[in-house]
Amino acid sequence: MSKQNAINEISGIQAYHKFNISKKNTFEMPSRVLLVDDEKEFVLTLSERLQMRDMATAVVYNGKSALDLIHNDAPEVMIIDLKMPGIDGMEVLKKVKQTQPEIKVIVLTGHGSEQDKQKCMDLGAFAYMQKPIDINRLSETLKKAHENITADE
Amino acid sequence: MVKDENVLTNEGMRFFGRMSATATHEIKNTLAIINESAGLLKDLSIMAEKGSPLPPARINDISRMLTRQVKRADLILKKLNRFSHSVDLSTEVADLEKTVSFVLDLASPLIEKQETAVKITAPVSPMMVTTNLFYLENMIWRAVETACCAAKEKKQVIISFGTDLTAPSIWFSMDTGKNTLMDDLFGSKEDRALMTYLDISIEKNKKNNGFGFLWPKCI
Repeated sequence: MSKQNAINEISGIQAYHKFNISKKNTFEMPSRVLLVDDEKEFVLTLSERLQMRDMATAVVYNGKSALDLIHNDAPEVMIIDLKMPGIDGMEVLKKVKQTQPEIKVIVLTGHGSEQDKQKCMDLGAFAYMQKPIDINRLSETLKKAHENITADE
Repeated sequence: MVKDENVLTNEGMRFFGRMSATATHEIKNTLAIINESAGLLKDLSIMAEKGSPLPPARINDISRMLTRQVKRADLILKKLNRFSHSVDLSTEVADLEKTVSFVLDLASPLIEKQETAVKITAPVSPMMVTTNLFYLENMIWRAVETACCAAKEKKQVIISFGTDLTAPSIWFSMDTGKNTLMDDLFGSKEDRALMTYLDISIEKNKKNNGFGFLWPKCI
């Protein structure tokens, strides 16, 4: 195990990883996606499925690890849950938009409050989506986020 | 009196809503995992059609994950169902320790979010009270939430029970650090309405790092 991998394992961070099987052109999708959710089985399975769709993903299980990671290794897009122990998703969104506004943040939550949705959009979320999610809808949203970044550049 | 009843009803509805929202949020999480697992199986089958071998160990992992999540959702629904039946009777005999354990279990995602460990020290014998179970659960939750917020240094709350079975009591203690408990603890109109309805009084403990709910002595 490399030193960086060992550090990642200890801190609960999975480095950006891509094992692609699909043969389609990858330029239309974000190259680096960070997933933040304390539901480990959910986030790891989703990450595996996004990797199959030509995206390099990294996974963290709490808000603090997410903020630590983006400070050194910023993703193009983040997919975050709202309800997490410690620093919650709303707080992460707020901090990301203050420090690295170029990162597109997709909120993916099981919490269905309209007030939360409005708050997240006001804070600058790119999209607010509900669990369970259809992978094609999520992929489409990730594609739009990537297009948005490309247009900004 | 009517005003008190309204306060109590509104507080009860808020509590019911909060616990239901917490449980349904958890169920949504289990459904999300089941959904991703089903999707992953589909992805793997598409890849197999294109010539990639199916990985038996991965399929087995997914199958176990699905079974685990179905069990998890079933447990959440059982909790929610039990909670819904708390409103069935206006008064019943409740075991205090079992009721506290149930509230902690029901609200476990909210407690985890506060990153506070809540531990129960069992009473020497079962401590029973005749009360309204739903509002008792409501009051216990308010106490747990208050105690978790007050636990500063060591994020830990200990729940214990009095020793006099004829005068039941529940005690919540925590490490409050340099802060002392406020004098107007449980002073809101909702707290007062609940305490009046449940016929309980509140006392701070001797170390001023906790509080207790006390029922009148049964003769």
